[in-house]
Amino acid sequence: MALFLQNLVNALQWGSFYALIALGYSMVYSILMLFNFAHGDIFMVGAYIGVGVAAVLIAMAAQGALALPPWLILILTILLAMVLTSFVGMLVERIGYRPLRAAPRASAAITGLMIGIILETGNLALLGARRIRFPSLIDTTVYEMGGVFITNTKILIVVVALLLATGMHLFVRKTKWGLAMRAMAFDYVAVPLMGVSINGIAALTFALGSALAAAAGILYALAYPVLDPYMGITFGWKAFVAAILGGRGSVMGATLAGFLLGFIEIFTAMIFPSSLRDLIAYSIVLLILVVRPHGFFGEPYSARLRL
Amino acid sequence: MKRKALLSVTTCIAAVFALSLGVSAQTIKIGLNIPLTGDIPKVGEGSKFAAEMWLADVNGAGGLEAGKKKHKVELVIEDNEAKAESAVKAATKLITEDEVLVIVGPQSSKQAVPAGGVSQDRATPMISPWSTNPNTTKDRPYVFRAPFLDPFQGPVLANFITNEFKFTKAAVLYDQASDYPKGLAEFFKGAWEKLHGAGSVVAYESFTTKDTDFSSQLTKIRGSGAQVLFTPQYYNEVALIVQQARQLGLKSPIVGSDSWGSAETVELCGKDCHGAFFSTHYAAAGATGATKAFIDRYNKKHGYVPDDVAALTWDSLRIVATAVKATGGLTGDLKKDREAVKNAMAGIKKFAGITGNMTFTPEGDPIKCAVIVRISDKGQFEFYKSVCP
Amino acid sequence: MMRGFSRVPLLGWLAGGFVAVVLEIQVGTLLAHSLGLPKIPVLFGIVTALKKPLLFPGAALYVLLIYAVPIAVIARFTAALANLAAGRLLAFPLAVSAAVHLGLFYVTLEMWSGLSDYRDLVLRFTLIAVMVTLSLNVINGYMGEFSCSHPGFMAVGAYVASVLTIDLFTSHRVFGSALLPAVLGPFLFPVILVVGGLVAAVSALVVAIPSFRTRGDYLAIISLAFMFIVKSLIENLEIVGGARGLGGQPDWAGLPTVFLWTVACVWVINNFVRSTLGKALNAVRDNEMAATAMTVDTRFTKMVGFLFAAFWAGVAGGLFAHVLRYVNPGTFGIQKLAEVLAMVYFGGLNSVYGSIIGAVGINLLGEALRPLEIFKWIIIPLLLILVMIYRPTGLVAFKEFDPEAILKPKTDPERERDALPQG
Repeated sequence: MALFLQNLVNALQWGSFYALIALGYSMVYSILMLFNFAHGDIFMVGAYIGVGVAAVLIAMAAQGALALPPWLILILTILLAMVLTSFVGMLVERIGYRPLRAAPRASAAITGLMIGIILETGNLALLGARRIRFPSLIDTTVYEMGGVFITNTKILIVVVALLLATGMHLFVRKTKWGLAMRAMAFDYVAVPLMGVSINGIAALTFALGSALAAAAGILYALAYPVLDPYMGITFGWKAFVAAILGGRGSVMGATLAGFLLGFIEIFTAMIFPSSLRDLIAYSIVLLILVVRPHGFFGEPYSARLRL
Repeated sequence: MKRKALLSVTTCIAAVFALSLGVSAQTIKIGLNIPLTGDIPKVGEGSKFAAEMWLADVNGAGGLEAGKKKHKVELVIEDNEAKAESAVKAATKLITEDEVLVIVGPQSSKQAVPAGGVSQDRATPMISPWSTNPNTTKDRPYVFRAPFLDPFQGPVLANFITNEFKFTKAAVLYDQASDYPKGLAEFFKGAWEKLHGAGSVVAYESFTTKDTDFSSQLTKIRGSGAQVLFTPQYYNEVALIVQQARQLGLKSPIVGSDSWGSAETVELCGKDCHGAFFSTHYAAAGATGATKAFIDRYNKKHGYVPDDVAALTWDSLRIVATAVKATGGLTGDLKKDREAVKNAMAGIKKFAGITGNMTFTPEGDPIKCAVIVRISDKGQFEFYKSVCP
Repeated sequence: MMRGFSRVPLLGWLAGGFVAVVLEIQVGTLLAHSLGLPKIPVLFGIVTALKKPLLFPGAALYVLLIYAVPIAVIARFTAALANLAAGRLLAFPLAVSAAVHLGLFYVTLEMWSGLSDYRDLVLRFTLIAVMVTLSLNVINGYMGEFSCSHPGFMAVGAYVASVLTIDLFTSHRVFGSALLPAVLGPFLFPVILVVGGLVAAVSALVVAIPSFRTRGDYLAIISLAFMFIVKSLIENLEIVGGARGLGGQPDWAGLPTVFLWTVACVWVINNFVRSTLGKALNAVRDNEMAATAMTVDTRFTKMVGFLFAAFWAGVAGGLFAHVLRYVNPGTFGIQKLAEVLAMVYFGGLNSVYGSIIGAVGINLLGEALRPLEIFKWIIIPLLLILVMIYRPTGLVAFKEFDPEAILKPKTDPERERDALPQG
C-alpha cells in the first residue's frame, strides 16, 4: 500500500511536468491548430534562461544589492524567465509560423521542428556541451508519512502546476482575450472580420504557451537539476501526445491527459518489468485512441482540417 | 578560345605553385570520429579538447617521431552526430578521402561497432577510446580499444561489496538502451548471483536513455529490501538517480562504475553523493603524476575537469604515437604504413596511460587495474582500494 | 544560348555526365594536383572549399573544368543527335527507352562512385533515403495524413531482413551456423528484402486500422506511439541483441542492388500514385465524405496506402541494414523521424520529383557541410525554414512524374510551351 501511495506521489510530480508542457503545447495547438514541434526546445530555453536569471539574482543578493530570501528569488526567477521566454515564443511565431499561415499546417510543423533544432544546436554552440546544474534555491526537505516520502519541491511543483493550469483555464474562459482565442479556434476566417487581429492573438497564444513552458522548465530544473541542450526533445514529443490525447480545443483536457500520461508511465513501470515500460505505456495510449478516436474532450469531427 | 588559353595559363601557374608546396615534409594525419552533435555532444567535446591539447604538445615538440624523422601531425575531426550511419560515412571519408593513418574513435559502441567494420575492411587501424562492446574488436585485427571491458568490472564490484559490507541482496538500476550500462549490469548480476545464489539480485530495474525520472523504479527497489544499489550510469544520470533515491527514502549504500569518474558527478549531485563508492581507472580528484598534470592543464584551458572519455582519448592518441614510433620509420606509402602501425599497435604489450597501466590481450583489449574510490564527505574522490585482475 | 539548352533531352544530359565522369577518371587526379588540390574533390569541391577556404578557387576551377564545361558542351552539341536517338527509342515500348537511359545513368554513377569508397557509400545511403522519402510521401503527401511511424516500419524491415540473412547464411552466436550455402545468398537476398517489406506492411495494420475511425492529429500520435512501441519492443528482444544491436550482415547491398531497388521503388510508386487507386488517395485526402459519395472505398484506399508505403519503407530498412551491416533500435527513433519528415517536406508533397530532390538534397547537404561541424545543424534547418517560407509545400510539389515526358526528345521548345496547360 505504501508503495502504491508512493507511486501516486511520484506520478503526480511526473504528470505535473507533462501537464504543464502539454498545456503550453495545447495553447498553440487548440487555438492555432498548429503542431508546435519547437515547444520542447522552448521548454529547454526556458530552463536555461531560468539558470541565467537565477545566477544574476543570486549574485546580486550576494553583493548585497538585493536583500532577498531564496524563495523570493525563486518566484522572481520563475516570473522573469516566463516573461523572457514568452519573447522567445513570439519570435518563433514571427519567424517560423506567421509566414506560413496560408500553408498546409504540416509545413508549419516542419519549420517548428527546424527551429527546435536551431535552438538546440545554437545552445550547444553558445554554451558548449557542458551540462549545467540548476542552483538549489530552496533546500529540499523530505517528509515521511507512513512509508510515503514527500519533499517540499514535489508539493511546490504539483501546486504550481495546478495553479497555472487553473489560471490558464480561467483566462481562456473568462477574459476578453480568451474569448478571442476561442473564437479563433472556432473560425479562422470570420474572426478577423470582427476586428480581432489574427497576428496579435497568435503572438499572445505563443507567448502564453512559451511562458508556461518556461515555468515547466524551471520547476523541472528544481526537481531534476541537470540541464542539457537536448533535454526538451522527448518532452516535446510526449507533450504532443498528451495535447492531442486531451482533445482538440480543450485546455483542461491537455492538462488531464498530461497527468494521465505521467500516471501511465509510472504505473506501468511499477506493475510490469520496467524494461517494458515504453512498450506497454504506448500500447495503452494506442488502445485509448482506438476506443476514443478523438481523444477525451475533442469534438468527434472537424471540418477544419486544412491539409 | 581566348578564355581556354587563359585557363591553361592559370592552370600552369597553379601547378608550379602546388609543386613548390609539395616539397615540405610528410605530415601524419590522424582522424577523429567523434559525436560533436546529437545525443552526447559532451563526449565529443571532451575528446576534441583532449586531442587538440595533445596535438599542440606534439607539434610543439617538432612533431611525431618515427624512425629518425619527425613528422608534423594533422588532426582531421569528423562529427558523427552520434548516429551509426553517420559514423560509418565519417570513417569511410577519413580513410579514403582524408587518407588518415589511424582513426581514433568513434566513442560509443553504437557507432564504434559498425565503424570498426569499415576500418577492418579498408585495412586502417582504428582505436576506440570508449567503446566497451566486445563486438567492436572481435575478429578485427585492425581495431583496438582503450577502456576495459565489462566482464572485468562487474565481478570486481560484486566481490568488493560482498567483502566490504557482507551484503547478500543487491539491486541494479541501469539504462537498457545504452550499451555500456546494460553490459555492466548484466555482468554484475551474473557475478553477484554466482556469489549469493539465484535471486540474490532482488531488483533488476531499467529505464531508457534520456529518462530523468526514476521514481517508479526506485520505489520498487526500496520495496524489494535490497541492501545496496548498483547503478553503472553516466554522471549526469547518477546525480539524478542518487538525489531521487535519497528523496524517496532509500538509505542503502549506492555503488557505481567508472562512468561515475567525472568531477561533474559531485558538482551535479551535491552532498547526496557523499559516501558513495565506485570503481574506476581514472580518479580525477585523487590523481597524481601525469594524470594530475593532464587534468590540471585541461581544467585551466577549458574551465572544467575532464571526463574519462577525454582522458581515454588522450591515452588512445598516446598509444597511437607509441605505435608510430615503434614502426621505426614511415615509408610514405599509406597502405604499408597503416599495416606497420597496426602491427606496432598489436605489438604493444604494456602501456602506462593516465587512465592506468594497461596490458593488451590478443583481441586488442586492455587489461587494467581498477581502483575503488569513495566520495568523501567533502565531495572529494578518495582512493579506497586497488583491485587487479 | 539558353534556348539551345532547353532543346537538350535527358539523353543528352546523361551523355554529358558520362563524358564528364570519363574525363574525371582519365585526368581528374592530374588536374586536381595541378590545381593545388590534394585529391579529386569528393563532392563537387564543397567539402574541400569549406575545409580549406584557400583551396576554393582550385576546387571551383576543377568543378568547372571537369563537370560544368564538359556537360554543357556535350549536351549542347549532341542535342540534335540525342534528340534523334531519344525519338527512335520511343518507337519501342517505353520500358526499352527507360532501360537505356537508366543503363547510361547507372554506368555513370558506377564510374563516379568507383573513384572513392566514400562517394559509393554516400550514394547508397542517398538512394535508400529516396526510397524512404518517397514511401512516406505516399502517406503524408498523397494521402494527406501526418504519419510518424516510418522509422518503425524501417526498423521492422531492417530487423526481419537482418535476422533472415544472418540466420540463413552466416554462422552467428545466437542463431547458430548457416542453414543454407552462402552461394545462394545473393539470389535469395531480394526475396528476403521482400519478406522484410511484407512484415513491415503487416505491422502497418496497427496504424492502418485505427485510421478508419480517426485521422489527422489523432492518427499522428497513433503512428508516433507505434514508433515508440517498435523501438521498445526491439530493445527488449534479447535474441536480436536488444539495445546492443545486431551486426554481421553479409555485404550484399552493393551499388547495383541498391540502384535496382530504388529504380523499382520509384517506378512502382509512381505507377501506383498515377493509377485510379492513387487518385483515390488524393480524393480521400481532399475530402473524405465527397470521396465516399463518389464511390471511393475509403477504408480499402487507406489500408492499401498505408500497407504499400510500409512495404517500401521495410524494403528500404532491409537495404539500410545491409549497407550499414549493423542495426540497433536507437537508429530508428525520433532523430530519424525528423530527418525523414524534413526530406519529404523539403522536396515537396505529392510529388515523386520532390521526394527524389528532397532526399538527395538533404543527404548531399549533410555530407557537404561536414566541415562546419556543429554549425551544420544550424545551416541546414535555416535553409529548410527558408524553403518552407517561400515554397510552403516544398521545392517541387504536386508535380506529376511522367516518364514519357521526361524521356522524349525536345525538338521544339516553343511549340511545347504553348501546348502546356498554363498555371
